[in-house]
Amino acid sequence: MTPSHPLITAEGLVKSFGSVRALDDLDLTIAHGEVHGFLGPNGAGKSTTIRILLGLLRADRGTVRMFGRDPWKDAVELHRRLAYVPGDVEIWPHLTGGEVIDMFLRLRGSYDARRRNALIERFDLDPRKKTRTYSKGNRQKVALIAALAADVDLLLLDEPTAGLDPLMEAVFQDVIREKRADGVSVLLSSHILSQVEALSDRVSIIRAGRIVESGSLAELRHVTRTTIEVETAQPVDDLGGMEGVHGLRTEAGRTVFDVDGDRVPQIMTALAPRDVRSLVAHPPTLEQLLMRHYGTSATDGPGADAPAPPADAKH
Amino acid sequence: MSTLTHAPEHPPHDTRSAPRTRSGSRPLTGTLALARLSVRVDRIRALVWVLGAGAMGFYFAHAIQIIAEDDTALASLAGLYADPVGRMMVGPGFGMDDPTHERFFAAGYAVFIYILIALMSIFTVVRHTRADEQAGRAELVRANVVGRHATLTATLLVTAGLVVTASALVLVGALTAGYAWEGSLLVATTAAAVGLFFTGATATMAQLGESSRSATALSGGLLGLAYVIRMAGDAPEVGGTALSWASPLGWAQQTAPYVDDRWWPLLPLAGGAVVLAGLGYWLSTRRDVGAGLLPARLGRAEGRPSLGTPLGLALRSLLGTLRGWTIALVLTSLMFGSYAQTMLDSADALPPELAGVFVGEDIMLGYLAYIALFMAVFVTAAGVGSLQQVRGEETSGRAEYGLSAPLSRTAWLGAHLTVTIAGVLLILVAVGAAMGAGAALSLEEGGASRFGELLAAGVLKAPAVLSIVGIVTALLGWLPRLAVPVGWLLVAFSAIIGTFGSLLELPDVVFDLDPFGHLADYPVEAIAWEPVIWLTAIGAAGIAIGLLGWRRREVGRI
Repeated sequence: MTPSHPLITAEGLVKSFGSVRALDDLDLTIAHGEVHGFLGPNGAGKSTTIRILLGLLRADRGTVRMFGRDPWKDAVELHRRLAYVPGDVEIWPHLTGGEVIDMFLRLRGSYDARRRNALIERFDLDPRKKTRTYSKGNRQKVALIAALAADVDLLLLDEPTAGLDPLMEAVFQDVIREKRADGVSVLLSSHILSQVEALSDRVSIIRAGRIVESGSLAELRHVTRTTIEVETAQPVDDLGGMEGVHGLRTEAGRTVFDVDGDRVPQIMTALAPRDVRSLVAHPPTLEQLLMRHYGTSATDGPGADAPAPPADAKH
Repeated sequence: MSTLTHAPEHPPHDTRSAPRTRSGSRPLTGTLALARLSVRVDRIRALVWVLGAGAMGFYFAHAIQIIAEDDTALASLAGLYADPVGRMMVGPGFGMDDPTHERFFAAGYAVFIYILIALMSIFTVVRHTRADEQAGRAELVRANVVGRHATLTATLLVTAGLVVTASALVLVGALTAGYAWEGSLLVATTAAAVGLFFTGATATMAQLGESSRSATALSGGLLGLAYVIRMAGDAPEVGGTALSWASPLGWAQQTAPYVDDRWWPLLPLAGGAVVLAGLGYWLSTRRDVGAGLLPARLGRAEGRPSLGTPLGLALRSLLGTLRGWTIALVLTSLMFGSYAQTMLDSADALPPELAGVFVGEDIMLGYLAYIALFMAVFVTAAGVGSLQQVRGEETSGRAEYGLSAPLSRTAWLGAHLTVTIAGVLLILVAVGAAMGAGAALSLEEGGASRFGELLAAGVLKAPAVLSIVGIVTALLGWLPRLAVPVGWLLVAFSAIIGTFGSLLELPDVVFDLDPFGHLADYPVEAIAWEPVIWLTAIGAAGIAIGLLGWRRREVGRI
C-alpha cells in the first residue's frame, strides 16, 4: 500500500519540550488523496506532529516534507494549500462566527460564498453570534466550516469533532467523504475510534511519540482478534485448545472467546458440526487495537502471550 | 456509535427544558458548602482585594499627615479640593473652610476607598455568578444537591464578608492615624454600605446578560454613572446640590464625616443593597441557568473584506482595548488640563513638597509639563497593554490558529505592531489635544497658546513611549515570557520616577534608566532633539530585533 508519491513524509522526527520527549523518532507517510487516521491517546504527540507539519514548531531532528517542501521554511506557501482545525479551538471572542469564517477564507484567498453558506447551514451554525457566547461545539463548528469551505488540497484536523454532538458528527463524516471524493487529502487526528474507523483509508497509531502501527484498517485487523459469542447444542469446550483461540469462557449459557484474525476460517469449520443455535462475531474495534498498545494485558486473559506482534510494532 | 438517545446540542440556553428545582422548600440547600468553596477558590484574590483596600485607607489616612505637616500647608491644599474643579474630582468638600487632616482624608480621599471596595464587590459577585455560569461550572454545581438560591446566597455572603473585613481595615487605618472615633467609624461604615450597595446591584446585573463581561460592564457602568452624576452635582456648590443626591456615591459623601457626622444618608445605600439583592433573587427565578434576561446582541453574519487581511485582523483584535484607553485618557487629560487656572491661582500657596514635584519657576507651566509626562506614561501603559494582548493572542492559541492561514509571521506581528504603534501615537495626539483644550478653556488669558504647547508636549513624549514599546517587542521576539512583566515594570518605574523622582534621593544611574527623564520638560524647557532621535532609534531597533526573533522562534511555546 505504500504510495508511490507521498503527500507528507516525516522521518525520524524528534521533538523535546524541556525534559519531556514529545516525539521520539516518529515516521509518518500520508499519500495523496487518502484520509489518514492519526490515532492515539492524549499526550501521545498528535498535536505536536501537526504543529510541526504547520511549521509552527521545528523538529529537533528528522526531516519533514509536505508537498515536497519544508514546512518550517515554506510555511506561507504551504498554508495556501492546506486548512487546519486546531484541537482546542480558540477564536477571537468579539468576532462573530461568520466573521471568523470569512476572515480565514479571505486570508486563504478562496472565498466561495455558496460553499460557505451551504456548510453553515449543514452544520446548523448561527453565524451572527459573537464567538464569546458560543459553546465549545459551536466554536469547533466555526473552525470546521472555515477549513471545509476553503479550496485546499490538504486538511489537517486535530480532534476536529471533540465538542460536536452525534448529529453534527454525522454531517462531518459526510463532508469528509465528499472531500475525499474531490481528491482532498485529510490527516484526521482523533481518539474517537469509530470516527477514524468510519472515515480512514489508512491509520497510524501513535504512542508516546512514535508510530507503533501503520496501515490500512484491513491490514491492522488481520493481526487482531475477533470476538465470537456462540450458542450450540453440543459442547464446544475443546475449542479452547485450538490454535488462535483465547480466553474461552461461558457467559449466560453462551460460549465466548477471541480468535486471532487469521484463524477465523478454521474455527468456523470446527463450529459448523456442533449445531450452532446463535452466533455473534464482533469485528475487532479500534479500541482493541489501541488496547493492545496501551492497555494492560490483564484484559486478554491467559492467552495474552499468544499472538505474535506485527513486525513493525513495539520496536 | 451508540447514539440511542436524542442528542441535542448543548449551548447554555438549551437548558431551558431542564426541570427547575421545584423543591422550593429548600432553595438554600448547600449554601454553606458553596461559600466555603468560593473562599477556597478565591483565597489569594480575596486577600489581595481586602488588604489592598485596607492598605489604601491606611495609606491615605497617614500620608496626608506627611504631605501637609502644618496648618498652613493644610489650608493651601484644602484650596485644591474646595474649588469647583476639585469638587468635581473628589466630592462636595465638606469642612474645607476649616481643614484638618481627618476632614481632608474624608473629603479628598475616602471616595477612592469607596470606589475600590465597590469594584471588589462587582468583580467578586460576577466571578461567582455569571462567570461560573458562562464557563459551565454553575451547571455542574446545580446538578448536585444544591438549592435554587444557594449560589447567589453564598456569593452574597462571601462578598459581604470581604466588604466588612476591608471596611474594618479602613477603620483601623483611620484610627491609627489618630482620627476621631465617630467620623472614622462613619467612613468605614460608609465604605461597607457602598460595597454592599454594589454587591446587590451586581446581583441584579448578573441576571441580565449572558456573559460575565456584560455583567461587569453593566455594574461598572452603574459605578461610573454614579461618579459622573456626583461630579456634576458637587461641582456647582460646596456641600453638593440636589443632583448629588441622585448618586449612590453622592449619598456616601453626604455623610460628611468629621464635620457633620450624618448617619442617615447610609439608609438609601443599605436599602438599595437589600432591594437590588432581592431583585437579583427574583430575576434569577425568571430565567434558566446560563441564560440571560437580555437577548444576546447579534453581530454581522459575514465578515468585511478588510477583516481578511493581517491588518484587519490585528485591528479587530486590538481596537477594543485601545479604544477603552483612549476614552479614559482623553477624559482624564481634559480634566487635568482644566486645572491650569487653579494652579495659576494657587501657585503661591503650594506646600514645598508638591512644589518639588512640579518643576520650574512657573508653577502652572510646571504643572502642565508634569501632566504631559504623567499622561504619556499612561499612554505607554496603553501600548504595553496592547502588546500584552498580542502576547495573549499567542498564549491563547489564536496566533497559532491565525498563522495556519497563508500569512507570514512577519506580516502577523508587523500588523499587530502597526496597530499598536499607530494607536499609541494617536492617543498621544488626542491626549495632548485634550490637555490643551482643558487648559485653554479654563485659563482666563493666554489659553490659545497653551493649547498648542500642550498638544506639542504630548506628541513630544512619543520617542520615550516608542522606546518602551520597542524594548517590550524585542522581548516578545526572544524572551516572550519576560515581555509583559518587564513592560509593566518599565511603566511603573517611569511613573514613580516621574512623580516622586525629585523627592527620592537616587543615584543618577537610576534616573538614566527612565526614558521619559531624557526628554526635555516641554513647555518648561526648550525641546532637545538629541534624545528624541536616540530614543526613537531604540524603539525602532527593538521592533526590528523583536520581529527577527519572532520569525526565528517557535509559535505557542508558552
